[in-house]
Amino acid sequence: MTANVTATAVSDRPAHSSAGRFDGIERPTRRDEAWRYAPHDLLGRLTFGPPPASIEPAPTLIGDRIPSLSGPRIVIVNGAVDSKQSDVTALPDGLRLVGLAADSAGPTGLVAAHFDTHSGFAADAFVTINRTFGIGGALIEVADGHRLDAPIHLVDLVEPDDNRNTACRGAVIHLGEASSATIVETRIGSGTAFGGLNTRTSITLEAGATLEHILLQDMPATQVHLSRVEVTQRAGSTLRARSFNLGAAYGRVAYDVHLAGVGAHADLSGLYFGSGDQTLDQQITVVHAARDCTSRQSYRGVLDDESTGVFNGGIDVRPGADGTDAQQSNDNLLLSKRAEANTQPRLEILADDVACKHGATVGQLDDAALYYLRTRGITATDARRLLIDAFAGQAVDDIESDAVRTWIRERIGTSDA
Amino acid sequence: MLHVENLSASISGTPILEGLDLNVEAGEVHAIMGPNGSGKSTFAHALAGRDGYEVGGTATLDGADLLAMEPEARAAAGLFVGFQYPVEIPGVNNVYFLRTALNSVRRARGEEEIGARDFLAVAREAMDLVEMKKDFLNRSVNAGFSGGEKKRNEILQMAVMQPRLALLDETDSGLDIDALQTIAAGVNSLRSPERSIVIITHYQRLLDFIKPDFVHVLVGGRIVKSGDHTLAHHLEDHGYAGFVNHDLDGAPERPLSRTAS
Repeated sequence: MTANVTATAVSDRPAHSSAGRFDGIERPTRRDEAWRYAPHDLLGRLTFGPPPASIEPAPTLIGDRIPSLSGPRIVIVNGAVDSKQSDVTALPDGLRLVGLAADSAGPTGLVAAHFDTHSGFAADAFVTINRTFGIGGALIEVADGHRLDAPIHLVDLVEPDDNRNTACRGAVIHLGEASSATIVETRIGSGTAFGGLNTRTSITLEAGATLEHILLQDMPATQVHLSRVEVTQRAGSTLRARSFNLGAAYGRVAYDVHLAGVGAHADLSGLYFGSGDQTLDQQITVVHAARDCTSRQSYRGVLDDESTGVFNGGIDVRPGADGTDAQQSNDNLLLSKRAEANTQPRLEILADDVACKHGATVGQLDDAALYYLRTRGITATDARRLLIDAFAGQAVDDIESDAVRTWIRERIGTSDA
Repeated sequence: MLHVENLSASISGTPILEGLDLNVEAGEVHAIMGPNGSGKSTFAHALAGRDGYEVGGTATLDGADLLAMEPEARAAAGLFVGFQYPVEIPGVNNVYFLRTALNSVRRARGEEEIGARDFLAVAREAMDLVEMKKDFLNRSVNAGFSGGEKKRNEILQMAVMQPRLALLDETDSGLDIDALQTIAAGVNSLRSPERSIVIITHYQRLLDFIKPDFVHVLVGGRIVKSGDHTLAHHLEDHGYAGFVNHDLDGAPERPLSRTAS
């Protein structure tokens, strides 16, 4: 039950103050389209620093707070690998899974690329901060041709402390040619103190590789979740990304997908399920940079109380990316008069022979369906739940892992049909 | 069984039912016929408990005050309403829906819930009754169903719920003759001395296959005429025009109405 700690430290990072506030970097404002609905007052209270050298005091046990998956896992507490709760023993052939730590010599190869400021992915202030402090985390490498059955689990746990309330961490995922894997990233927190998590995951899928990437965000309502996933896909590779954006005062899930090889396929979907005064923000961009790629974005929101849902979805078809087939949909179910859904499609098409579709809906529970169910003896509460489940269920149904599916259904309070 | 007295219903101040009386005893089959706009569907919805009506008068089922109950409590009390326009509910699986419905009323009655495996046998039997195809089990409630399939699904649900009183609102509308016979056979097989059935219809056609004990004519929100099954044939031949003008000469008289015992 120990995590290998590999060499990683990073030389080419911007200087930073020892801890606390991050000065000299321009934070996003409401005028930035991608940050328009973010709670900037909360963002302004986030403080950053390097990950702790050791995990003290004893970490919160996480057993029943995450899906219990059989398979290797790395647990990261406040941005530092927790060896005790990680399991990297008995790894299957073709898998390299190591924890990243701050105290090592210098990054090489994949990890260096993760910190490279010239990666081609747009950076905002929080990405820059993450490059500086997100030096703990995990490296996952799947060798060419290896198809892994058991999901690999990365778990982040945040327990804010006074020195700096927000943890940064990085993850680097590389799938070799014709390999496949399922990776689950779960983010949780503990305590009632204000704080947050700033994660960045760099993914490369080589030719013909297939990745199912599942992101579960279930942090406490006192915390802020900032997450960026950057994906580069080579020819014929497939990404299936499923995000479940459930917790946090502000839950931000950003995917930047770069389809760089001919015939790559990116299928992104997600569910956000808000209550109280949560803001759940999905920022999705798919860049078609090669011919004959397909992409799907399908996001659904269920918003209760005074919660706010945001979907900002971009399809960017570069010159020469002929034969592009891209679709995008965003559907919202408002359970309260005070809930709010904001949807913003961004389409930029600079190639020929492109099929591009997008659509968005905002609706309420169907009164006629509620009545129909109730005349069959189903209580009003159960009837509402059935209809919410029907709306949200599509995002859950096609997850292959029973453990993940069950966990999500229990978390969002719906039943397994 | 079902006693309806002086039932009124209006929407936004517009009266639709104006003093409807109906007594249905155990084991009886009644037909309510009437022209468009006479209040047939409103009667079904008023009994089922749809929001949006101002309802007056009384309606009791086995002594229970239906009008005071939520729709789900009416179902638990033994009422089943088959709708003219069944609602499509994408994403809710038929079998899950049916089992939830059956177990909801069982729970409300303090009965033991039925397990998934045992329920499947119940569902299969109901499917056979209305000749529903196997893929029904995996489909969503009424989603993408043809008109005939939707109507057969109503009878299928009735077979699963085993109600004390079934009120079937224009279950025959839009059906071809084969589908009509399938539905009629399903309804007939659900007739029993303990169960009563009220069929609401515009045409006499369905009554060739389900022979009612009593036929009532609903016009202007009231039952203006009651008789035996021959009244249906009279309506078929003469239409509703005479009733609209309250000219009832020549129409067969209703046998003396039974009183509640």
